[in-house]
Amino acid sequence: MALVAAERGVRRLTAVDDLAAGLGLYPGQKAADAGALAPGLITDEAAEDADRSALIQLGDWCARFSPAVAEDPPDGLFLDITGVAHLWGGEAALVEDLLDRLGKNGLRARAGVAGTPGASWALAHFGYDRTLVPTEGEAAALAPLPVASLRLTPAIAEQIARLGLVSVGQLGALPRAAITRRFGEEVVRRLDQALGLACEALTFRRPPSPWLARLTFAEPISAPEDLARVTADIAVALCARLESEGQGARRFELAFHRLDGQAPRRAIGLSLPAREAGRIARLFLPRLETVDPGFGIEVVTLTAHEVEPCLAQQQRLDEPLASEAALAPLVDHLSNRLGAGCVWRAEALPSHVPERAVARRPPLSKPAGGAWDPRKPRPLRLFRRPEPIDAVAPAPDDPPVFFRWRGGPHRIRRAEGPERIAEEWWRRPLEDADPAKVRDYYRVEDEAGARFWVFRAGPYTGAGHARWWLHGLFG
Amino acid sequence: MSREARFLAVRAKVAAMEAPAMPSRAVAPFGDPAIDGVFAEGGLPLGRWHEAAGEGMEIETAAATAAFVALLATPLAAWGAVVWVMRRDDLYAPGLMGMGFPAERLIQVKVNNDTQALGAMEDALRTAGVAAAIGEAREVDLTGGRRLQLACETNGATGFIIRRRPFGGKGRRLDSGSAAATRWTITAAPSGPAQRGAVLGMAGLGAPRWRAVLERCRGGRTGGWIVEKSDGPYPLRMVADLGDRQLETPPLLRLAS
Repeated sequence: MALVAAERGVRRLTAVDDLAAGLGLYPGQKAADAGALAPGLITDEAAEDADRSALIQLGDWCARFSPAVAEDPPDGLFLDITGVAHLWGGEAALVEDLLDRLGKNGLRARAGVAGTPGASWALAHFGYDRTLVPTEGEAAALAPLPVASLRLTPAIAEQIARLGLVSVGQLGALPRAAITRRFGEEVVRRLDQALGLACEALTFRRPPSPWLARLTFAEPISAPEDLARVTADIAVALCARLESEGQGARRFELAFHRLDGQAPRRAIGLSLPAREAGRIARLFLPRLETVDPGFGIEVVTLTAHEVEPCLAQQQRLDEPLASEAALAPLVDHLSNRLGAGCVWRAEALPSHVPERAVARRPPLSKPAGGAWDPRKPRPLRLFRRPEPIDAVAPAPDDPPVFFRWRGGPHRIRRAEGPERIAEEWWRRPLEDADPAKVRDYYRVEDEAGARFWVFRAGPYTGAGHARWWLHGLFG
Repeated sequence: MSREARFLAVRAKVAAMEAPAMPSRAVAPFGDPAIDGVFAEGGLPLGRWHEAAGEGMEIETAAATAAFVALLATPLAAWGAVVWVMRRDDLYAPGLMGMGFPAERLIQVKVNNDTQALGAMEDALRTAGVAAAIGEAREVDLTGGRRLQLACETNGATGFIIRRRPFGGKGRRLDSGSAAATRWTITAAPSGPAQRGAVLGMAGLGAPRWRAVLERCRGGRTGGWIVEKSDGPYPLRMVADLGDRQLETPPLLRLAS
């Protein structure tokens, strides 16, 4: 069995199984040659996208070992295990566990642990499996490995090999200027990255957060009350750490790692950094109902994001009641239950158009300091869309004396206005601006005392019927 | 123990259960003896919840009720935040500010149904730092009302329910037994003389006025007044007593909880 893909017009093998490898086939071979060597070869098209998504899925699964997982296409994964190895009792035990679990799922993998991504890549691909490099031991560990282990482009690697430089150690012994002159910058850069002399940025699938707590269960759990309980437990564990370092977080993400490798996640956001375990666990509770435990959940991880210093605050007795900290639990509870956009504080925007004068801001954000003009009458209820009314206005610039809204007649007794509001012409191309796009607003009161905000669209031109709209109610 | 003594003991127990957890002596006076006199406490009792409804089109738009309730809640805003829970988010903050309500103290919450609205109200009332919670709901049943009352008692916050069917439709007549401390019917009333310039041929608008009918008042009497927005120490000023003392007193509802 082999997979083939077309590469510059030539069909080549991209992967072979054990049996095919035994017959002397290898990836990169021309499909026609392979077919000649092994007439019974079964071939199939390689599916690059499927490989890629499977790798991403595997990366998500690996988040149980470390929150910082970066893919290395086509077939590698980087795990940043800084600070998490002790949870397994050491790096060796972690690697053992990882490869063991992968093996049980039918995935053969090799691993290398080193202080830099480059060195660990080299060890995983070319070193002995499960090599652990002690701190600062990268140079010694890499010295016997072939030059290709530096992640060089094949052309350069071949060129170096042709000069008789076989191992990384030999290459490293040469003067750097000579290497650069001969092979370009890439070789030196890769060498430095492998030895930790230059830094390398990995694109982690999720931004790594050192604020991670993890609970492993001897038996998989699935009962809803168990989920609630472990959520409370894990929140206590993480919050104790946050508290001991004087930190609080604005966002928490809870991941349930299931037996089948899926990891449903639930996240909550807070308006102020917090670390009260009970409150955080309570915010998660309504979300747990939708978690499908599948065949069972064996590991739960909780990560904190947007961690900021958060000092324990002593409330003064004479402080006014409405402090931000007191309101934060309410705002968090409501916005997590109803949706973040459903809880807001209105803030003034510098715009004279009524629809644009109000901005919705998170309730506990710092006020920007704008204010509406108190001299201009504004309604208490503003319709999202003005509603058309049939109005009778005796003179061109007069308010209506009578109008009909939703079938009900309203005879006007008192009126104020007009207040002319023009469109914000600077928001659109100049040629689209139209001086006729103005509204003349009147505040009117009918016989019963109901107060309305009506406007006439456009200035009076004398031709045709002026259109009137109702835009709001004053109560 | 004699039969009578046992009876007294049980009665004391029931009284202890019925009493609010926190003695709510606080009131918001209207500043007019004619109105304040009908309340047993001498003003709108705080730490309870109140209900206001409109009539006609107002059942859907609830503009006059919102204005009246906002004015009642204005003095409370000095003590903490005010949470306004609504199903239809057409409340316009500049208008509130124009009525003298501190809009920066207002947290608006949009919900999808009455159950969520009452839940959010309860959560808000239980939070320290919230002085008042205003909710727009179609109706509040006895259980919901009792729950609101308990939430009010935790911190002494005051609740207001604006009865509103935000999207119209045929509705039942809006009345039922209720655990509210007071129940008002608010309709707009023609305003008085104008303060500002009028348009040619038509008088200008005066301070907004409402016809406020106190339909039910626990431990007090009912009444009806024309009130007007005032810039004085109290947000509302009485203009006239409707004087309809013949308003029949609804049977005082006692909850046996």
